[in-house]
Amino acid sequence: MIRQSWWKILAVVILVYTILAGMLIPLKPGIAEVTPRALQAGTEVELTVTGYNSYYSKAKNELRAWLKLKGDVVLKAARIEVLNDRTMKLHFILPQYLPSDSKDDACSLILDSPIDGAIVLPEGIALTQDSVNLLEGKKLWSVDKMEELNAGPKLTFPYRSVLYESIRNQYFHVPLWFAMIFLFLFSVNFSIRYLRTYDPDADQRTLALNRAGFVFGLLGTVTGAIWAKYTWGAFWSWDVKQNMTAVALLIYSAYFILRGAFQDEEKKARLSAVYNIFAFAALIPLLFVIPRMTDSLHPGNGGNPAFGGEDLDNTMRMVFYPAGIGWTLLGFWVASVAYRVEKLQQRLLDA
Amino acid sequence: MIWNRLSLVCVLTLLFQQMAFAQQASGDFLRSIGHIYVVVAVILIIFLGIVLFLIYLDRKLTKLENQIKENE
Repeated sequence: MIRQSWWKILAVVILVYTILAGMLIPLKPGIAEVTPRALQAGTEVELTVTGYNSYYSKAKNELRAWLKLKGDVVLKAARIEVLNDRTMKLHFILPQYLPSDSKDDACSLILDSPIDGAIVLPEGIALTQDSVNLLEGKKLWSVDKMEELNAGPKLTFPYRSVLYESIRNQYFHVPLWFAMIFLFLFSVNFSIRYLRTYDPDADQRTLALNRAGFVFGLLGTVTGAIWAKYTWGAFWSWDVKQNMTAVALLIYSAYFILRGAFQDEEKKARLSAVYNIFAFAALIPLLFVIPRMTDSLHPGNGGNPAFGGEDLDNTMRMVFYPAGIGWTLLGFWVASVAYRVEKLQQRLLDA
Repeated sequence: MIWNRLSLVCVLTLLFQQMAFAQQASGDFLRSIGHIYVVVAVILIIFLGIVLFLIYLDRKLTKLENQIKENE
């Protein structure tokens, strides 16, 4: 029993780990909001910062903050007033001139605390000055230095301003597609085997793998639509990858309809095996080639490398790769149950 | 029987009221606490989808079991 189903136990263990680690590891502290977002040179300003997962009052006296312009020039906050863990007020005394050759510029805000680590709000704040004086500006802004930044908590997922906690969907939505691709890949393998040997068993395996793969594809589409609603603003944005997966799923649904069209078992098996090979040959360009050729909302498209950079750090990899294996194993488990039902039905029909 | 149904209706109305209240309180329930409920919704959908497929297989198996019984 255990010798036969070790991989099912492995699937359960990995998925339990995925759900626990994926839901319990906190997000990195981040900056949720800063007001005001437009500052005037030569004035004293007060910025109200709202943090996410932050612990400002734990590090009250060691907090530091800078405004940073292009070319690594920084201005340190004159005074920091912590109201609670999630809110603080930063006071900056802005010099008369900016180290910039235009009247408008943008700066980023950098916070540093031994508890939360260094946090950057990139290019979020607009700066304006009445007259331009590049030399004087450079002199005024080169007084402060930014050094010895803290690393912050290690075991965290990245804080991304549009995604927030929904970055965790990486371990639930994305692996469904891995599972689907592997199921369809194996089903092609059995289709080829059928065309070589005309063994009805290979046809039943193809059918079961396609059923499970189709279920995973549908679930991937629906979960993707929910995630899209809260990050891109609509359930269906007519994004190229969304459209192409819809086309791919339609092609695969035609596989099941095609099977229903034949009375003769052998004809059914032979034609659906050929169709299945063509369906997979269409699936690869639809999912992996066309979305990369145009702009897409999905990461890893429009010429970018697939997920990476700040969207997938090492802590996420620690959960994401096992998640891919776990969901794929679950897919094969579901397929194997569907296969056994199919096999039993066939045996009863033959008897 | 009728009491079962009535209690079910009561429970459902209470549940919907609670949900409506939660929405009024926080604007949008799924957006609260950093969109964490988007993840909960995704996990629930995957769970329900796999359960639906299981129900489909279950019904198929019941049919086959009945067939075997008839054959015997």
